[in-house]
Formats: sequence, structure tokens, C-alpha cells
Amino acid sequence: MYELTGVSKAYRAGARTVEAVAGVDLTIDDGEWIAIRGRTGHGKSTLLNLLGGLDRPTAGQVRLDGSDLGRLSDAELTRVRATAIGFVFQTFNLVPTLSAAENVEAALIPLRVPGAARRRRVAAALDSVGLADRAGHLPSELSGGQQQRVAIARALIKEPKVLLADEPTGNLDEETRDEIIALMEKLWRERGLTLVLVSHDGAIARRAQRSAVMSRGHLALRS
Amino acid sequence: MFFFIYLARELRRRLRQAIFIALGLAVGVGLVLTVTSAAAGVKNAQADVLKGLYGVGTDITVSGAAPSAQAPANGGGGNSVQIQMGPNGAQMCVNGKCHALKNGYTIDNLGSSSYSPISAASVAKIAALHDVTAAAGGLLLTDNQTTISSNPSPPTSFTVDGADISQPKLGPLSEAAVSSGRAFTASDADKNVALVDKGYAASNGLKAGGTITIGGTKFAIIGLVEQSEGSSPPNVYIPLARAQALAKQGPAAGGSLKNDVNTIYVTAASASDIGAVQQEIAKLLPTAQVTTPSSLANQVTGSLTSAAKLANDLGKWLSILVLIAAFAVAVLLTMAAVARRVREFGTLKALGWRGRRIIAQVMGESLAVGLLGAAIGVGLGYGGAAVINAIAPSLSATLTQPTGLHMMTPSGAINPTSSHTVSVPLSASVGGAALAAAVGLALLGALLAGAFGSWRIGRLRPADAIAKVG
Repeated sequence: MYELTGVSKAYRAGARTVEAVAGVDLTIDDGEWIAIRGRTGHGKSTLLNLLGGLDRPTAGQVRLDGSDLGRLSDAELTRVRATAIGFVFQTFNLVPTLSAAENVEAALIPLRVPGAARRRRVAAALDSVGLADRAGHLPSELSGGQQQRVAIARALIKEPKVLLADEPTGNLDEETRDEIIALMEKLWRERGLTLVLVSHDGAIARRAQRSAVMSRGHLALRS
Repeated sequence: MFFFIYLARELRRRLRQAIFIALGLAVGVGLVLTVTSAAAGVKNAQADVLKGLYGVGTDITVSGAAPSAQAPANGGGGNSVQIQMGPNGAQMCVNGKCHALKNGYTIDNLGSSSYSPISAASVAKIAALHDVTAAAGGLLLTDNQTTISSNPSPPTSFTVDGADISQPKLGPLSEAAVSSGRAFTASDADKNVALVDKGYAASNGLKAGGTITIGGTKFAIIGLVEQSEGSSPPNVYIPLARAQALAKQGPAAGGSLKNDVNTIYVTAASASDIGAVQQEIAKLLPTAQVTTPSSLANQVTGSLTSAAKLANDLGKWLSILVLIAAFAVAVLLTMAAVARRVREFGTLKALGWRGRRIIAQVMGESLAVGLLGAAIGVGLGYGGAAVINAIAPSLSATLTQPTGLHMMTPSGAINPTSSHTVSVPLSASVGGAALAAAVGLALLGALLAGAFGSWRIGRLRPADAIAKVG
């Protein structure tokens, strides 16, 4: 369970300070799907980075299952990312030189999973996103939707507790968008994930259990 | 396994850049190897020349000071002998009393032409010094033969070494190998027997079993010896006692060299003792020249020394400059590659990869490029050494020594010197140490490049990395 208390994140931009996230209080229950909407530059991705331990708040606390991510050491935070949190990015962020299977396998490297077990889990993960027959393809040989499926398989292969998705359909056409969202919804239901999804798209947000809007760093929850 | 797959894929992606970096390192490594091999070749040639001068076992050489050519030596109270060439023909003057010499008359003078005498007793004193393992005396002589003629011509001469037969491991003879006949034995100490350099014998029609006239005395040639041609070796060896009996101090004087030597060969207990022993001998014999192989090297002139300077100065600095340039290119290109992969590394950090794991990946890539550069560089180095061996002209080493001869001619005095120039083949070879050092340099360059890239990665925050391009 996430518990955010008075979370702020400020950046120095030359002489002035920009507060990307300003005093956010939020609780996300285990297995909940929450969508965060908002205009570009209003702090959605920054909030997602704080939830994912990619960044530390300048004020407040981000607690994941009781542990304050802002107070963890770099090594501990890395461990949390490696085991508990999966990321899906708008631009897929696949390693261009690695095949689909190797990209998925990369998520298991920090967990020191033995080679044979890794290969088995990779095959299963790709199968779960419908890409078993594309395992040896490079990202450049896959469509945008297929690349995002690989990214989802990479995020979920380590069986995380939380899936954080930052505009996962932002680079996809409408039909593919629906496929990806349907896939994520299916996996969310099957695996009991906590899903935090940032998106401009109101249609996607409406499929979430709860939605919130970020505006100038402030978060407003909607039922 | 994943490490190597990722490494190979990444290198294949930026193959041209990797090859460019590897080639840069290879050129640096190849140049270092080539210059090092050339320098080693020059050093070996120098060592060859110097070793042959005084023998392989000799650490220090003590020689009498060179006599003045302008003032005919009259050492040891000997008679002053002068040969004068005038309008009325040649005449020999002994202590001012002159008599005419007929045309065709040959004057054969065995003299200590280059060095003043040192008492043979000094050999024992030096041998008794602390840190001295062995000492042997010798007489380095020149046999000058002048045939009287109305048209004076330069004398013919050959070098003679009076060798201490009881110390076969010291002195120039220790370097010589008998190619025909036999070597000296203890019983030869007082006999008129000689060993002749094989090359000199060939060019003068001499052979084992024949005879050679030295100082007006016939010597039986008991053997021919093969010596390094790069070493200016003596032409003839005779027993020290015979040399002492026949030689005169200076060709124009009649002083005896009995109980004298003019060179003492010394072996120090260890290389580190050479300096101390050199100082002790200098105290014992203040007027003598005490030289070590390193100081002897300075007396050699010719293209050999020019090549040594070229290899040591220009070659060294050129190699350093190329290496610095190669390192700089490797660092800059690696930094650029890391900068292009910021999102990739940020994503890996988001996946839970530790910074050091990513750094290891980048270092591995750099090392692979370094190994490739080292391999190509080693090939270039061997190729460079082969090219040097194929096209480099033989180097010459010139040793100029006074003959000690003083001749009066109608046009004035002649004080000829003998310049002995030897041709030394330059054999550039890549040694194991140089090879290891060159490969080490390539890997160092690669590691340096990787280290700069790693520094960049270490400063990378995953959120920044993703935000920059995401």
C-alpha cells in the first residue's frame, strides 16, 4: 500500500525554484488501479517517479508497505525497484540492441535468477502478452504496440507488486491503444497488481477504479 | 552470459566507432612497439659493439691515459726514435742520431699506441679491492709497418692484444670463439704464438699453421677466432708476456713495456657495485681512465649513436603523443557513446540494475575495444619491426683512437689517428616485456575511456535519464 503524506518535489531552474509536486497526500490500496490525468508539465510524471523510487521527494513521505522510499539508501531503493515495481514508459525504452526476449530478460538480471529459469520465465512472459513468436526480434523489427507489449512483459516478469505506467499509449494509434489497455487491465485483474497509470486520455482514466488530476503540482482526487 | 551478449550487441551496433577507437589505440601501441623494438635493436647493437671491446665479463675497464701525439712519448726513460722523410730520402733518428734508410726497408713497430702504461702490479692491487671478483691485465697494441719509399704512404697497421692467458673469461678474447686451430693454453704464455681474427686472416691471406710478423718477430698462428664484427675486435692475440717483451711505449720511442700493461679488465661482484669499484680504482690510479660500459657508449660515434638518439628522443615522444591522442579520442568517443545511451542506462536503473553493473557493462565494452586495439597494435608493431629490419641501413659505429705514430714529412708532422668504423646491422625485435607493456597501454587507454564513461553513468539519476528523452 502506498501512503503519500505532504509530498513535494522542487527543482532548481536557474535562479528560481519550480515545485513540480506540491504537498500531495494520497493513499493507494493494494490491488487498486488509479489513473492520474493532467496537462503536460503539471507534475504527473514527477509524481510517478516519486512513486517508483526513481526520484526522492524534497518534502513529505512516500511510503510503500510502510517503508519510506525517500529515506532508503540508493542500494535499498535499487532493490525495491528490482523486486517490487514495474515500469512501462511512453516511449517503450527497450534496449535497441537486444531482442524482445533479451529485453524482457534484462529485468531479471538484478535478481540473479539462474539462466535456465530466466529463459523459462521470459518465454512465459512473452506468451502472456501474445508475443511468443517474436522473441528473437529486435525492437526495430516490432511495431509500436508490440514494443509496448514487450515493455509490459519486461515490467511484469519479476512479478512486481506495483505497475507504474507513464502514458503507455501515448505513442500508439487508437486501435493499438485499446489492445494495450485491455492487456494491462487483464494482467491487473489476473495478478492483483497495484496499477498507477498516468495518461492524458480521459477514456483510459474512466476505466480505472479511481482517477485523480494533477494541476500545477497539486493532486485532486475524483471518485 | 547476458553480459557478453549485451556487450557484443552493443559493440556491433557501434562497430565503426569501436573500430575507430581500436585503430587509434592500435596505432599508438604499434608505434610504441616499433619504436621500442628499434630502440632495443640499437641498444643491442651498442651492447654488441661495447661488449666486444672489452669482453662480456668485464664491468670496468682501466686504461692508461692516451699519450700525447704532438710530443712523442719517451715513457719509461726509453730511447726517442723518429723517422724523418726529407729530400734526401728517409732517415731514422734515435736520440738525435740519424742514419739513412734504404727504399724498401720495412719498419715494424709494435707499440702501445693509444694508452700509457700501467704497472702490472696494479692488476693485483685492483683484484684485491673490495667488491672486485676478478681483474686481468692486457696490452692493447698496434703493430705499424711502414715501408720506406720516396713516395711516403700511410703505414699499414693491425691491432694486437696481449692477452692474459690465465684469465680467459676477461678481456676481448673472452668473446672470441676458435673457428679453426686451437685456443691458447697455459704452456703458450711465453711462446711466439698468435690467434688471428678470422675476418682479418681472410683479408690478409693468413691461416692457422701459418705465421705472422709482429714487432719484427715471427709468430706461429695456432688458430683463427671468430668475433663479433660490431665490436672492433683486435686483429691478433698474443700472450701478454710476449707482448710486454716486444712492445715499445709509443711507436716513436724505444721504451720497454716489460712489467706493464695498458688495460685492466675488472669484474665487479655485482652490477650495483660498479660505481663504488670505479671510484676505488680512480683513487688507486688517479691518472688512469676508468670506464664502464655506459661511459664507453659515449665514445662511440656514427649513425649508431644517431639512431640511438632518434629512437630515444623522437621515437619516444612521438609514441607518447600518439598514445595521448589515441587515449583522448577513446575517452571522447566513449563519453559520447554514454551520452547517447542515457535513456538506456536510466531504464536499466529503473529496472533495478545497480550502477556498478551498468559500469561493468561499459567497462567491458571498453576493454573489448582495447583488446582489439592491442591485437591490431601488436600486429602493427611486428610489422613495423619487420619493415625496419627490411629497409633500415646498417648502422656504423666509429671509434677514433690515436695510433701514437709521429712522422716527419717534407710538408710537416703527421700524427695519424686510426678510426675504426664497424657496420652494425640493426635488428629490431619485439621483446616480451615490450609486448606486455604495449598491450597494457592499450588496455589502460580502454580502461581510461571506460572510467570516464563510468563517471558519467555514476552521476546519472534514473529520473533525469528518462525525463531527458522520455
